[in-house]
Amino acid sequence: MTIDKGNSPAGGAVPGAGEAAPPAGTGSPIEFRLDPASGVPTYLQLVQQVEHALRLGYLKPGDQLPKVRDVVTSLTINPNTVLKAYRELEHKGLAGGRPGQGTFIEATLSQIALPELTTLRRTLLTWLASADAAGLDEDGIVALVTSALRDFFDRRDGSADRRGTDTEGVA
Amino acid sequence: MTALTVAAQPDRDASLRPVPWRGMAWVTWRQHRVTLISLLAVFGALAVFLWLAGLKIHHNYAVLTACHPFTSTACQALNNTFNHADWTLANILGILMQLVPALIGAFAGAPVLARELETGTFRYVWTQGFGRARFAIAKLVLLAVAVTAVAWAFSQVFSWFFRPFLAQEDLSVLSGTVFDTRGIAFAAWTLTAFAIGVFLGTLFRRIVPAIAVTLGGYLGLSLATWWLRAHYPVALVTSNPSISGNGPINVNDPWVLNTWFTGPGGKPANPAVVNQVLALFPTHGAPLVKETMAQAFAQRGITQWWRYIPVSRFWPMQFIEAGWLLVLSALLIAGTVWLVRRRAA
Amino acid sequence: MNVMETQDLGKRYRRDWVLRECNLQVPAGHLSALVGPNGAGKTTLMQLAVGLTLPTSGGVTVLGGQPAGSPAALNGIAFVAQDAPVYKNLSATDMIHLTRNLNRGFDHRYATSRLGELGIAPGKKSGKLSGGQRAQLALTLALARRPQLLILDEPLAMLDPLARQDFMATVMTAMADDGVSVLLSSHALAELERVADYLVLMSGGRLQVAGEVDDLLACHRVLTGPAAEADRFAGPLRIVQTRRAGAQAHLLVKMSGPDDPVPPGWEAHPVSLEELVLAYLRSPGTETPPGLSLARPPLTRPAEPSAVTR
Repeated sequence: MTIDKGNSPAGGAVPGAGEAAPPAGTGSPIEFRLDPASGVPTYLQLVQQVEHALRLGYLKPGDQLPKVRDVVTSLTINPNTVLKAYRELEHKGLAGGRPGQGTFIEATLSQIALPELTTLRRTLLTWLASADAAGLDEDGIVALVTSALRDFFDRRDGSADRRGTDTEGVA
Repeated sequence: MTALTVAAQPDRDASLRPVPWRGMAWVTWRQHRVTLISLLAVFGALAVFLWLAGLKIHHNYAVLTACHPFTSTACQALNNTFNHADWTLANILGILMQLVPALIGAFAGAPVLARELETGTFRYVWTQGFGRARFAIAKLVLLAVAVTAVAWAFSQVFSWFFRPFLAQEDLSVLSGTVFDTRGIAFAAWTLTAFAIGVFLGTLFRRIVPAIAVTLGGYLGLSLATWWLRAHYPVALVTSNPSISGNGPINVNDPWVLNTWFTGPGGKPANPAVVNQVLALFPTHGAPLVKETMAQAFAQRGITQWWRYIPVSRFWPMQFIEAGWLLVLSALLIAGTVWLVRRRAA
Repeated sequence: MNVMETQDLGKRYRRDWVLRECNLQVPAGHLSALVGPNGAGKTTLMQLAVGLTLPTSGGVTVLGGQPAGSPAALNGIAFVAQDAPVYKNLSATDMIHLTRNLNRGFDHRYATSRLGELGIAPGKKSGKLSGGQRAQLALTLALARRPQLLILDEPLAMLDPLARQDFMATVMTAMADDGVSVLLSSHALAELERVADYLVLMSGGRLQVAGEVDDLLACHRVLTGPAAEADRFAGPLRIVQTRRAGAQAHLLVKMSGPDDPVPPGWEAHPVSLEELVLAYLRSPGTETPPGLSLARPPLTRPAEPSAVTR
């Protein structure tokens, strides 16, 4: 996937395609490419490339996805395929269309569903209430949360490294 | 590829008005430019030639007719020159005039639609919005009008060129090879030949066979017309012996179609008696002889009748001939359009 | 709307039936690929659709019920026949002018700017253009008419790889810009999967397969397993093609539903379009009736313009 960092139209011109660079301020930060030998359906490749770009930070919420027509012209694929990919992204909640303007990223991959967020928030407030009742002030709560956070992610990543072994106690 | 221009949407109303006819004017011109220009160039050049040669011939004829006495050597010399040098040219041109409609019909008419069918371009042009029947009609009508107009103009120049020879060579305007080069007959024959060419080209879908059959078909039709002309409903009947068509013919003499004899009471005459009288007058051409012969018949109660067409009937005959040729052309063009309509790939 | 519907369509030339009992509904908004061996009846079907030929039996309607060859059909369909016929003695500009005079609604600006982009000299006689340029010229003229349906008969046959790419890109862009539906016949199977979303497979004058590409690929798969067991499936499964060696066999099967279980001891693999087409072509007796769809409805162009920018 070629990278064209947002706002500099001259930079990141696609090699070999002979494309005119998108005008300043408009256009998508990313451009698609196809791997015809991968066996993955075309629309899925497009979806995966968007998700990958999101993970790597090439795409942020608010960025525009390439226009259907431009994708079709440069990759010579069926426009319905691109529409299908964009619809899939909408279905996943990652993108959304703005009438007359195009399709834009609306969320990042780490976004989780709203009901879950609400539940987590409620649980957190309950715990905060009990921490407050135990006598912890704000700084104390922050310190406790930060240390637990670090422990949690260390152990989670560590257990991924030591698959199958159980030398330490399970959390 | 660089960015493409954004297209404007045409209106797409449900009740489709047909594409305007006027577009076909340019289409016909552009597709048949060569034919039309060649036609104009060739006949224009010929017309100029005829005009220049005609001026000379008219001058020579005027000098000839003004020459007195006619039997003097000087006048006879002029006469001979006119009859040989000038007449040879006119004779050849007169014969060529008989071929011209056939040639136009074959080479201008046959390829009009046959070329599209032969080269496969009909797969492009018959799938355009204009529609193949309207396309054929517009093109054929425009070309037919052009061809007919050129033919008419040219025949007028030729008629003027040829006029001195009518009197000089004892030809009548009703003579077979003269009649169809004058008036509106030439234009009508050219139109018909064009229609034949167009029809056969569309029928055969190939240019070369269409040319061949057009030439043959035209020949057949003109031969048949020589017979047909005698039966146009313009003939008169008379028993006046001065009508007789044998012997030196005058340019104003009528075309005698046939002659018969009736006896007393209007019944057919006795052939033996008729032959007897005819044997008495071996040369029945001279006017005095005709009178005497008529008297001899009258003595035996026999009247000789002639069916003839006077020269004054020239224009009615022209209209009759042009009329049925026009009907035939219209049928052929209609037939061509019908073929186009049901023409399969 | 279906851009083309045939009802028991048949065509006979003299005594040979080149097309028989063809029942087809080609949906709008798709690029439909007409695939099959030479002589399968593809060109005949296209010519029937544009009214160049009349059916011997049955009928064909286009653009939602218009009779083929009617003024409405002629207006809404642009056809480029095999080897892209244009008048060889006319220049590209003349061809544009000609097409403009013979049609309502011609986008002159698009046509002339496309010629410029393609590098086709406007004054040069069409006969002197290369095969690729002539094909692009014919396509430009067709698209400038802004048709609802574009029918292309073997458009890529005479084109080199770069010209093919340019040609198809032009067609795809027209689909994206104007929603043109496309019906094209082609032998280039490898490229079809990227561009075609409806497949019509013909063989020996008959329709063998017709359906949305996504649906067809979703309901076929290759089962790989022991050759000895392969015969067990001849009844219960619809086998399109069997390929077997001594110990192993590959069965290309058509599933009855999206969640058909894989027989124990067998592996299932997805099928590519090329593989599918070749398998059906090699097995002329098998058919998949048109209108095939599983639980998912066919993919149609969304009504909202949000995903399409102009």
